[in-house]
Amino acid sequence: MTGIANVWELATRNMRQSGIAVAFVAIVALFSVLNSNFLSPGNITNIVLQYSYILILAIGMVLVIIGGHIDLSVGSLVALTGAVAAVVVIKGGQPWWVGVLAAIGVGLLAGAWQGFWVAYVGIPAFIVTLAGMLLFRGLTWVVLDSISLSPFGGTYYQIANGFQNGLLGGMGFDVFTLVIFAIAVVGYAVMQWRSRMAKLRYQQVVESLPLFVVKIVIVAAIVMWFAWQLAHSRGLPNVLILLAILIIGYSVIAQRSVFGRHIYAIGGNLHAAQLSGVKVKTVNFWVMANMGFLSAVAGIVYSSRMNGAQPGAGNMFELDAIAACFIGGAAVTGGVGRVTGAMIGGLIMAVMSNGMQLMGVDQSVQQVVKGLVLLLAVAFDVYNKKRAGVAR
Amino acid sequence: MTNRPLTHPAHPPAALPPPCPPSPPGQPPLPRTPVLCLQGITKRFGAVEALLDVSVQVHEGEVVGLVGDNAAGKSTLAKVIAGALQPDTGLIELGGEPVQIGSPSSAHALGIATVFQDLALCENLDVTANLFLGRELKRSGLMHDGQMEAHTRSVLHDLRANIPSIHTPLNQLSAGQRQAVAIARTLIGRPRLVVLDEPTSSLSVAQTAEVLTHIERLRDLGLGVIFISHNLTDVRAVADRIEVLRHGQNNGTFGPDAAQSDLIGAITGATRFGGLGG
Repeated sequence: MTGIANVWELATRNMRQSGIAVAFVAIVALFSVLNSNFLSPGNITNIVLQYSYILILAIGMVLVIIGGHIDLSVGSLVALTGAVAAVVVIKGGQPWWVGVLAAIGVGLLAGAWQGFWVAYVGIPAFIVTLAGMLLFRGLTWVVLDSISLSPFGGTYYQIANGFQNGLLGGMGFDVFTLVIFAIAVVGYAVMQWRSRMAKLRYQQVVESLPLFVVKIVIVAAIVMWFAWQLAHSRGLPNVLILLAILIIGYSVIAQRSVFGRHIYAIGGNLHAAQLSGVKVKTVNFWVMANMGFLSAVAGIVYSSRMNGAQPGAGNMFELDAIAACFIGGAAVTGGVGRVTGAMIGGLIMAVMSNGMQLMGVDQSVQQVVKGLVLLLAVAFDVYNKKRAGVAR
Repeated sequence: MTNRPLTHPAHPPAALPPPCPPSPPGQPPLPRTPVLCLQGITKRFGAVEALLDVSVQVHEGEVVGLVGDNAAGKSTLAKVIAGALQPDTGLIELGGEPVQIGSPSSAHALGIATVFQDLALCENLDVTANLFLGRELKRSGLMHDGQMEAHTRSVLHDLRANIPSIHTPLNQLSAGQRQAVAIARTLIGRPRLVVLDEPTSSLSVAQTAEVLTHIERLRDLGLGVIFISHNLTDVRAVADRIEVLRHGQNNGTFGPDAAQSDLIGAITGATRFGGLGG
């Protein structure tokens, strides 16, 4: 049944995803009207840097949630991995990359520890990671000897605060940034075109050609506008490059790999997954271990941005990451969610915090608004599910 | 898989059940080889004899209806065939070869596919993902979506299944469509024999009709089908032969045109061990 899908079909086919994207655009539009500085090059760079570690955590967290688990320990693990890096680099005088490797090693070990209890002993992740939250926080105090360490300086500091700028020169703007984004846009267009061709070959429904072109042009325009803003500010942040690699890599894992498919199956119907020959324990173990790895990456970025390690670092990060996933369309019961959705969810939180800060909204009011947004997003999800249930 | 017939350790070799006859008793000789031949299957749970000396044969392109009252041993027999239970005594021949079905995965390897009463499907995944769950096709490390989708289309086409799109998540399908997906899933492993345990028990009239059509399609594809149900109307609509179980024993073999009263008599025990029909 080959055919052409119209705009309405496209919008309804992925109602939850497009709903959240529309909400994101609406929030950005609202703040840009309320505050002229909101879309300034400096502020856009700032939003990316300020919330990058939450986005990195949300990438791992959405996989955990899709698998039907939760991880409450990531905030503590961010602190612990940052502390280990600080001890190695600041106290030990080792080069920056030794600190990075040490942090990643600790993160993987902590993730594997939790994965062992969840997958092979069968203790619910909520309990295991609640214990991990206390355990890793305590270890952070031990590692840091209850005092803050700073500054990193040097290359380690540049991880989260550096920019790729001036590599190709430019007149008041960074050509390198524009070139990288242009390559990304072309890559996106080529991939979309190839996927469209493959769909046609297997006789699937695709949108009409003009619609397809309009979609590509709109995406390209938004991305290049964003690149232009960055190029006018300080160039391409290192963190943004890291984030892009992680988002693309983990999207491929979630959507195209057997491992990703099995995470969805376990979260959807554990019994069916077992009967179908999915190696449930192995998959659960690696989902938790991977969360440890990404916590370490976030820990490195955070400690680099803060230029030091504090015993209290990363407090409540787990809740921000979990909120990003649920706002981005992940289901509380597991089996549903996307990496890109979690990223949009995280950006909604980021944009709201940043926008309200710029407007001078009180911290307490910010918390109230964020809480309500989370509640409304999940309520919308439940409402959609009920409607789908009735239609069945 | 070994070629050693299944025997209870306590039994001397002389107690082996006789090998499968070329055609079932009371039936005209069939030219086709029996896909599955069960001889003298006995399964005890403690003192309870769930199956006692049960014999069933299925040929290629034949639908055998397995009927009986609750606790007659239908589901136990299905589990024995699916490898989920091991019989205490008895001989299982697959395509003329004596086999041991040690686990569900070895049953799958032998070409036996089973659809259990509680469908093992993931409602959050789409049709293709469910068909290939646990045996995804890969190309350079990633899933080969195109090939899996093409295969899904052809299987659904073979079944004449009415499913709007193979990209539909199962929670948007009706109970009958899900049953079709479960049946289609069995076809992915290129089975010789399909066992369906109560596939119509929770379906509306129209959905039941659709599932019965799928069963007929399985027969037309040349597979042996065991259709377990306690709905006589459904069984008589598609079965080529009806085997009645009562208290874990064979209680008669009937043709599809057997009188309803004879079947009910055999099921309830009013008549015993009769080759009354067909």
